[in-house]
Amino acid sequence: MSQVTSGYYAPASLRDAISLKKRLRERALIVAGGTAAVQLISKMIAEPEVIISLEKVPLDYVKVQGNVVEIGATTPISRLLEKKDLPNALREAAENIHGLALKDMATVGGNIFTPAPAGDIATALLSLDATLVLRGTRGMRAVPFSKFYRGPLEYNIKADEVLTAIKIRRAPGLSSFLKQTPLRYSGPTIASASVGLDLDKDKKARRVMVAIGGLTTHPYRVKRVERFLTGKRLTSELIEEAAKQLVDDNVDVIEDALASSWYRRVIAQVLFKKILNNFIR
Amino acid sequence: MRIKFKLDGEVVEVDAKHTDTLLKILKDKLGVGAVHFGCGEGTCGACIVLVNGRPRYSCLTLAGYVDGKEVTTVAGLAHDGELSEIQKAFLENDAAQCGYCTPGMILIAKALLDRNPSPSDEEIFDALAGNLCRCTGYVPIINAIKSLSKKR
Repeated sequence: MSQVTSGYYAPASLRDAISLKKRLRERALIVAGGTAAVQLISKMIAEPEVIISLEKVPLDYVKVQGNVVEIGATTPISRLLEKKDLPNALREAAENIHGLALKDMATVGGNIFTPAPAGDIATALLSLDATLVLRGTRGMRAVPFSKFYRGPLEYNIKADEVLTAIKIRRAPGLSSFLKQTPLRYSGPTIASASVGLDLDKDKKARRVMVAIGGLTTHPYRVKRVERFLTGKRLTSELIEEAAKQLVDDNVDVIEDALASSWYRRVIAQVLFKKILNNFIR
Repeated sequence: MRIKFKLDGEVVEVDAKHTDTLLKILKDKLGVGAVHFGCGEGTCGACIVLVNGRPRYSCLTLAGYVDGKEVTTVAGLAHDGELSEIQKAFLENDAAQCGYCTPGMILIAKALLDRNPSPSDEEIFDALAGNLCRCTGYVPIINAIKSLSKKR
């Protein structure tokens, strides 16, 4: 195939996008909504030879079939909100992406790759036990979202793969996302929490998924707390106990001009407790 | 690369680098005054334009994205020297003091009212969350939008 020259490419099909990515690898920057990717360029963090814009690739959709929700990777937040039957945590995270322009531009897939303070949607998706669908030249791969982040800006994705969809199977019966921002209607996420929960008929926790956002580069699941709560009847005392072990001492929590790491830890606990106490109320 | 798009109803053609933002092209190449540079990171909303009717931060939009599309700035809302309903409402409600945030505010108001002709206060606050005003104050701006809200 002919040499790809430096420039802006907007392939019309996924196949073309993937084959471009395979040939160019790190020389290319994939742009979906642009809210994060374009800043990499304008702040001179990245100097891509080639832009691969996904604007024409038909990945802007939300499908709900039975107990499976499938979201195309380039679905903007505003399109997501047009769907009425989304899992609650995802709806709450999407509604609280502030401002009409950001809701129209930012995409679900883009949010997964963008470091804190972004990642509200990713935090909600983690608590819904979502699966990521990656497509490359050698076919399709499904990766549990909880196994996607390998470190700061390091993802379980190959150089020739593109994230195409996010799937939620059997969304938990209860789910909720809460975040703290400096202002009520705007500003970056200081800390967030999202919990997915299934109760059995004795009101004991059968399946618990706890995700924390804003504290580290990417959100993460807190398996220790999930194990602690599983099989137990949720009471305010138990929730208090779980909150104490929510943020491990070993977690290197972000400290910046907006909030200290101490404050972020405390807020994450407060949000986590609020969510669970709302569930049992 | 050469890009061609409609700017406020007129076809324009311009040379752009693949890494140029729409804001850079509008201001530096086309001399558009109705778009402002504020923060450059999608926080302040001074650079908002409508692309095919939907609001976008032009500082976070690559120039290549608008090839073949329609870009509307606040100047494009007026026709034959006559201000649009929204622009008049901003004037009547004293919703512009220094005017720096005004283009973005008016275009977000338009985008909101186009899809939701009778927004609640909450919906107006949320729509404006990505637009900063540092001198007029938000109350006159919100009043201007409310004056256009069609109550049924």
